Amino acid sequence: MTGTLEHCNIVFDSLENGALVVDEECTVWSWNKWLEINTGIASEAIIGSNLKEFYPELDYKGFQRKIRTTLRLTTPTFYDASLSNRFITIPRNKVTTSLLTNMQLQVTISPYIPSLKRVMISIHDISDLHELKMTLQHRMAEIANLNSVLKQDKQIIDTNLMIVKTDCGCLVTDVTKAFSCFFGFEKEELTGNSLSNLFVANKHEAEFLQMKEVLNKKERWSGEMEVLKKNGENVWMDAVISPHLDEKNEVISYTAIYHDITDKKRIELLSITDPLTKLYNRQKFNEVCEQMLMRQHWTQESTFGLLIADVDHFKNVNDTYGHQVGDTVLIAMADTLTDAIRTSDILARWGGEEFVILLPDVDMEKATLVADKYRQAIEQLNIPEVGSITASFGVTVFSKGDTQETMMHRADVGLYRAKKNGRNRVEFN
Amino acid sequence: MQNNEFSSDHLDVLKELMNIAMGNATANIADLLQAFGTMHIPHLQISDVDGLKNYIKMTISSEDEYYVTKQLFGGKIGGEFIFLVNKESAINLGNYLYDTVKVSDADIMDAVIELTNILSSTTIGRLTDELNTKVQFFAPYTEVVSGDPLISEEETLNYHKIIIISTVLEFQKHKISGQIFILSRDEMIISLRELIDQKLEELYS
Repeated sequence: MTGTLEHCNIVFDSLENGALVVDEECTVWSWNKWLEINTGIASEAIIGSNLKEFYPELDYKGFQRKIRTTLRLTTPTFYDASLSNRFITIPRNKVTTSLLTNMQLQVTISPYIPSLKRVMISIHDISDLHELKMTLQHRMAEIANLNSVLKQDKQIIDTNLMIVKTDCGCLVTDVTKAFSCFFGFEKEELTGNSLSNLFVANKHEAEFLQMKEVLNKKERWSGEMEVLKKNGENVWMDAVISPHLDEKNEVISYTAIYHDITDKKRIELLSITDPLTKLYNRQKFNEVCEQMLMRQHWTQESTFGLLIADVDHFKNVNDTYGHQVGDTVLIAMADTLTDAIRTSDILARWGGEEFVILLPDVDMEKATLVADKYRQAIEQLNIPEVGSITASFGVTVFSKGDTQETMMHRADVGLYRAKKNGRNRVEFN
Repeated sequence: MQNNEFSSDHLDVLKELMNIAMGNATANIADLLQAFGTMHIPHLQISDVDGLKNYIKMTISSEDEYYVTKQLFGGKIGGEFIFLVNKESAINLGNYLYDTVKVSDADIMDAVIELTNILSSTTIGRLTDELNTKVQFFAPYTEVVSGDPLISEEETLNYHKIIIISTVLEFQKHKISGQIFILSRDEMIISLRELIDQKLEELYS
């Protein structure tokens, strides 16, 4: 028996893990070299003693129960090693990581000499594995946290930002709630449909075509667009459309982000609109006129004209019928001119009973003809209470070196001459 | 008949052996833990992976949290012993074994491991004794999961045929109940069938 035990001790000492033998009362019968080295307790000191003297902090009730189970069932029992070390504390010397200062142990209690109620306890250092597990758990917790933040952000985006995702053929693949609610569609109505069908309001306008051109070049486009809601209401959107490219530089999808700027547009419109006639006001006219003057391509044959129209005998209308009727006359004149002018003409109220029109792509002769056409349209007017009215026109065209003041002055002189020569006529200057 | 298929005789013998093993387990638990419990008659089923998933879905609630302890056993017959307790039962078990009213998570884990040790060694141990073979138990591990991911996709990838032996363990006094699954597969099922054949020969010779 002694020889066998000595042989066992030699085997225990050669193990690369801890091995000790204890009985049911926790008296230590063997303590291998690995334990001597790692605990600093010599086998001579501990063998024959009770483990409780060296490790009083251990839960001996549970430990002894495990020993009993091992002996009774002649089967190994185990300590849980997934959370914290529950057996004896063995310091860890690893310095490159500091997660664990003591070893995490995998402890197995196996039957050794059941007749003597002795068990062998093998101890494996699983600290590296445990550290990896802890790091992994920490990372998983971080990922879960990030996912939760992302989910919250996604909800915020979904309910507050109007975003549409389309495939490379501009067929809608996904929309946010904010987008579908704003436009009055169900998500299902939009998915699979062409986005351009939605925005039929300005489909053929220059801005829309320019957007298509930019996107065809696989570039990001941003700009303003007037679009239709499901209920037919016109709205203005500030849009950013970005293509997503694959590794072969092919478009795989588009993301469009929209921002409702209808109110801003209304305010803008108010700032450039004459409140009575709804025509452009003097400020807007000045702005457009400056832009026209800055264009370099005007020639003598194709230049632009400026026209001033003034309602004849307007003071009499006001004096005879009152200002309210006077206003009606101005509105009727504005509406008539709006209907009569060419698409490219810019009409504005200059002030009082004076209206101004910019006439692009005309020469002297054409400007005079166009002005006379407008004069005739006004002559046809029949205003309740007042009857027919007439207007006098002064016209000029741009010449090299002109400013707005010089052009206005010449047109004004023309108008003066038209008034002087009997009214209801066009005078070129 | 395919090699891994069981006849009704095989199933009957296995069921009888498991009855004996479960009785052995309750007796040992009473002795070692001073807890007097009952174990239901075991349910036996040969199934594929989907069958196992469906069975688990039927038997546990996907909304509860569970302490799942898995312990491998190897030898001529081998497989996986799974002990499943819901959170409330696990806490009650921890309170009971550690004689406290406020156990730590680590205490609960260790208590669950301790009960699993007894259950696995007594049920599997007795079964293998009866079949004249031996098994080796590996260190168990416990994790806390919700019902659905009890058996992960990765774990079942290599399983073709699975033998499911399940039962319910109850300690009414301590408000602890759990479920046991013993899973074995393919070649292990063939070995089990051969061992049962030997047992049948032994019984009827």
